[in-house]
Amino acid sequence: MAAAINMIIQASHLTKQFKSVRRKEGVLGTLATLFSHDYEFKDAVTDVSFDLEPGELVGYIGPNGAGKSTTIKMLTGILVPTSGHCTVNGIVPWQDRQANGRGIGVVFGQRTQLYWDLPLVESFRLLKAIYGVSQASYDRHLKKFSELLGLDEFMRTPVRQLSLGQRMRGDFAAAMMHEPAVVFLDEPTIGLDVVAKEAIRNFIASVNKERGTTFILTTHDLNDVEKLCARIILIDHGRKLYDGSIDAIKKRYGPNRLLTADFLTDAAGVDIRMPGVAVLERDGQRIRLEFERERVRADELIVALSRQADLKDVTIAEPELETIIRQIYERGLDRSGPAPQ
Amino acid sequence: MADAGARHWSAYREFWRLNFLTLMEYKVNFFIWLAFTIVYHGVALGAIWIMMSRFPSMNGWHWQQVFFLYALYMLGHTLNNTFFFTIGEVPDLVREGRFDRLLVRPLDPLFQVLSQPGQIWPDELVIALIVFILAQGAVHLQWSSSTVVLLVLATLGGAYIDFAIQLIIATLSFWVVRLDALRWVVMSLENDFTRYPLSIYNRAVRIMLAYVFPFAFMNYFPATVLLHKSAEVGYTFNPQLGWLTPVVGAVWFAAAYSFWRLGLNKYQGTGS
Ligand SMILES: Nc1ncnc2c1ncn2[C@@H]1O[C@H](COP(=O)(O)OP(=O)(O)O)[C@@H](O)[C@H]1O
Ligand SMILES: [Mg+2]
Repeated sequence: MAAAINMIIQASHLTKQFKSVRRKEGVLGTLATLFSHDYEFKDAVTDVSFDLEPGELVGYIGPNGAGKSTTIKMLTGILVPTSGHCTVNGIVPWQDRQANGRGIGVVFGQRTQLYWDLPLVESFRLLKAIYGVSQASYDRHLKKFSELLGLDEFMRTPVRQLSLGQRMRGDFAAAMMHEPAVVFLDEPTIGLDVVAKEAIRNFIASVNKERGTTFILTTHDLNDVEKLCARIILIDHGRKLYDGSIDAIKKRYGPNRLLTADFLTDAAGVDIRMPGVAVLERDGQRIRLEFERERVRADELIVALSRQADLKDVTIAEPELETIIRQIYERGLDRSGPAPQ
Repeated sequence: MADAGARHWSAYREFWRLNFLTLMEYKVNFFIWLAFTIVYHGVALGAIWIMMSRFPSMNGWHWQQVFFLYALYMLGHTLNNTFFFTIGEVPDLVREGRFDRLLVRPLDPLFQVLSQPGQIWPDELVIALIVFILAQGAVHLQWSSSTVVLLVLATLGGAYIDFAIQLIIATLSFWVVRLDALRWVVMSLENDFTRYPLSIYNRAVRIMLAYVFPFAFMNYFPATVLLHKSAEVGYTFNPQLGWLTPVVGAVWFAAAYSFWRLGLNKYQGTGS
């Protein structure tokens, strides 16, 4: 497998089953818990495999509780998998955590790594020491990040006084201070306003482009994914459902486009009988249709409509990734595909 | 390897710098802590004084010697507190999910726990030294080179014993979420039973303090050597046992550290 050697992340059959004891209270309860065999099991991730090439920017998506964070924790060496294997930068993360730590950056959206009571810049200085970053690189990175993320205005402010958006920008800079080859982002834009989200997306895109840094990001904001990632991996209930490009998933599982037509007269009498076209709703002078992009040409459809009544306006919309993915979760992968008759 | 050592060292210095900055940020806190420390040890010494004023001698130990016993305990205990105090934060780190971060950095996780900003200052150690100076005067301790060696070994070994027990409790938090109750029990066991000569307790307590939670090696056994006490009423042991404190400390630390390593591989985090 010559190709596999070039992979920066290789995950094969990763599986994590959480095992926990039913809890009891008090000192005796604590001791009893230690020796109890009354376990509960939870399959968080089951048999997940994928490879990433250097420089890829991949969205790892799924609903709450799907197993996204658990996968990230195995890839970053926090958790030891129950079974399966992975390497990141050629290292088995949980076997050599320190070597692994030098080559990766991690941002947990819900949790900061910055020191709450101290000015932002103090956390950066600490990270400089932890990663052994030279003064020259440190100065260069700080300048660069300040430009991209606008850190200057709050560099000397205690972290506890920062807004969430400012804090996240600080966290991103902190995670990149040592130029990691791979960066893991777990819900990096959660709770952020539109402006902060945009700043962070631009930062990710620019670091990815300029340095070739590999990113894997979990999110349930599909706007992040649509703006940033060419490839997505979809998981649900701990299992991988889809791995491929966004275009492909749209073609395959969202083969229908939407057409909204407004007429000058009432649309009640309009009736289209063409293969691959379905009427979704009629509302006064408006009609909404769904049509298969592969079978029906939009211009032909519009011509057909205009023969029936005088058209005022027409709009055509692509299916939203969000809609497609919701359908996949609701109906399963096989049944969400084509197509209304 | 050399590189890893250099990074640990420069990180440690940086941690202490942040520690100092945090201290400056919360000066009042520092003085509250200092007052608390003084009151805490003052109360313990007061309790010993009240007890000893009722019993002029406790199994052959007069009050100066019991005072010395406490002072010796304070040396090891406060040395541990000064450098390793933040081990007590592991349960909180785990529960709040902050422990995850320590596993993705290129530094030893235990090192990171121990060098976290927020540790206390050598104030307690200074108090312990003052108390010890008074106590050694009270018992007219005979100074010789072997006294110095034994004191240093007992203090270092004692700190490691204290730390090892704390490390074991901290490691349990990888399995059990709420440990406050257990921690409290072990701490009061340590505080209460190290104040008086081991020989006054019944057999079960003696076995516990010598072998299970070996706090007796922090002060009682070394004190018997220093004060030239041999077998006591109803309790016999090798009078040279006090020299073993560093060995007990090393063995317990090694055991606790292995347990910690095991815990790291079983670590599941919290589901958030
Ligand atoms: N430490 C843990 N102990 C027990 N169950 C857990 C733990 N962490 C996560 N889980 C469970 O595993 C499943 C996957 O969780 P997670 O990976 O956090 O999902 P996501 O990040 O996709 O929302 C959930 O059902 C969650 O409750
Ligand atoms: Mg999650």
